[in-house]
Amino acid sequence: MSTHRHTSKKERSYGKLAVAGLLTTSVALLGTAGVYAGLSATATGAEQVSSGSLNLVLSNDVGVGFSNFTGKMAPGDTDNVYVNLNNTGSLASAAGMTLGVAGNPVNALTSGSVPGEGLTVTATQCSVAWTLATGTCSGTTTPILTTTQVSGMSTPVALSNIPALVAATGQVAHVQVSLGLVATESSTNGVPPAATVQGLSTTLTYTFTELQRTGVATNQ
Amino acid sequence: MHGSTHRRAVRTVATAAVLLLGVGVVPTIAHAAGIGGRATGSEAVTVGTWGLTAATTSMSFTTNTAQTTTATNTGSIALSAESYVVTVSKPFFFTPTMTVYECPVAWVSGACSGGTGTQIGGTLTAGTTTTITTTTSLGVGASLYLEVVPAGVFILTTTVTLTPEVTSPAQLRAPVRTMQ
Repeated sequence: MSTHRHTSKKERSYGKLAVAGLLTTSVALLGTAGVYAGLSATATGAEQVSSGSLNLVLSNDVGVGFSNFTGKMAPGDTDNVYVNLNNTGSLASAAGMTLGVAGNPVNALTSGSVPGEGLTVTATQCSVAWTLATGTCSGTTTPILTTTQVSGMSTPVALSNIPALVAATGQVAHVQVSLGLVATESSTNGVPPAATVQGLSTTLTYTFTELQRTGVATNQ
Repeated sequence: MHGSTHRRAVRTVATAAVLLLGVGVVPTIAHAAGIGGRATGSEAVTVGTWGLTAATTSMSFTTNTAQTTTATNTGSIALSAESYVVTVSKPFFFTPTMTVYECPVAWVSGACSGGTGTQIGGTLTAGTTTTITTTTSLGVGASLYLEVVPAGVFILTTTVTLTPEVTSPAQLRAPVRTMQ
């Protein structure tokens, strides 16, 4: 019992010594750091920067814009919708824009599984708003997408001749988007062929994408 | 115990390496893509069906008596024309002929509203297959009444198969242009 108490006291004194040693070392290190801080020098400069934005807004030009084709489409029919594409950001867009079209569900209307058949898209720009009643442009028309199979638009395709969207911010393009159907097939005694586009439905999503102008290196 | 600590250390180093690699790659991709503006719109569409169905497609003739059938537009698109593939069998020793007529109403005792109806195509000879076409417009659900009139000697059975056929876009209604 007495021996144990003696040993315990001895351990406590070793602990005190260790703590004292650590404190001394810390104070010494802080002192050294203070010396170094005293020798450093600082110079500062300020530069303000704001990042631009690139916003593409889709809205109705005339009519209801993108909506549902309520009838039963037949080969040769066209459904025209009229939309505005407006660059509302603070950056000009690059010289180019793409349009991708995806169908849901994917079927023979959009997949190209029946060669030469399926839905097609054509896009034309008008310099002024379109006339809904006649589907005509009283200004100047510019084709921006020739008739293209939707099956080839799952990967966005480049639109052409769209200067109004390229030039600067705030520009508006009045675009007619025409949906068509190509189908050359025969039904025998009321039965369509095995590979057919007849009686199918899908919902198309059109995605217009513009990219920012090329980065600018400024020296000042 | 020691082994476990070592494994933790190795795992930590590996995780840090992956994170560093990720941080290095992400800015590269972002820089290449730049800023993009995107706008989307959607449009639903349903395609119609086109087809003409005959109530009877096969007729057997042993006498000179005419037979009738009814062809109905069972699709969802109106038709501007219809075709029929007609095959006339060839009995031994005889060569009978067939003629097809149409009528907008049902035939009554071999007459179309008191008349003979309208002939489709020419005279069809035994042992041939011929496609005949009419340009009668047929709305969705509407029917056309056909009569096959035989001529010649009918001692042996002669079979006529008449199969309606509709081909797009030529035989469908005129294309419609919609602005909305």
